[in-house]
Amino acid sequence: MTEPTTPGTPTPVDDRRESFEREALVHLDTLYRVALRLTGNAADADDLVQETMLKAYRAWHQYQQGTNAKGWLLTILRHAFINEYRRRTRHPETVDVDAIEPFAVFEDLQEEDPQGRFFDQIVDDEVLRAIDELPEQFREAIVLSDVEGMSYEEVARILSVPIGTVKSRLFRARRLLQAKLYDYAVGMGYIKGSRA
Amino acid sequence: MNCREAVEHLYEYLDKELTPQVEREVRQHLEDCQPCLEQFDFEDAFLKFLQARCRGRCAPPELKRRILHELFGE
Repeated sequence: MTEPTTPGTPTPVDDRRESFEREALVHLDTLYRVALRLTGNAADADDLVQETMLKAYRAWHQYQQGTNAKGWLLTILRHAFINEYRRRTRHPETVDVDAIEPFAVFEDLQEEDPQGRFFDQIVDDEVLRAIDELPEQFREAIVLSDVEGMSYEEVARILSVPIGTVKSRLFRARRLLQAKLYDYAVGMGYIKGSRA
Repeated sequence: MNCREAVEHLYEYLDKELTPQVEREVRQHLEDCQPCLEQFDFEDAFLKFLQARCRGRCAPPELKRRILHELFGE
């Protein structure tokens, strides 16, 4: 016989909800920022995050409390994106990202702006636009590592790749992003630059 | 550690992903090598700039309401 529930006594449903709010919902902003960069638009990002939270809540019993909820949620989000959104929002990669040999901006600016002051003149939207133009594998590495501050190991787990791959993608992604921002800054006249 | 080795560890150093031993070697190199230090500072400025520019966005309140409604019927 089950105990009658008295008012004020937490039920299993309350517990589930309470732990989900405490451990999962607190990562809503992170999920949203990552979703925005993956899908490239706010409406799809909203849907992707909502779907991720639904899937996560349904699978909440599989999550081990106190472990890395953020990583767990981002893995769900990324799978949902690959399976359902990528096809309609962006085209799968056709370039071989590992063959991209990026240009080192610092070498070019050593004389003119060795402290990278020109970065400060670039507005938020321009930075986000430049990130959105990166190949998807670079974009997700940059967003997880540089925007959300996750460790190589966490990023590797979410992307299901070895840590060495995370390092190499981050290196290329950062250099490519720098080069885009550098070209933009030269175009805007923030710096002179010497790249033709 | 020479310049080439230090620069090879550049991002791992800035990301604090090196073992304490290698991190110490890189730091020692930077103390003695102005050109490498400048390059590390430039990359550090870039990473800080990136985070500052992108972290500001929060999920819209409407999305949170939608999710709470969907999950808990509120």
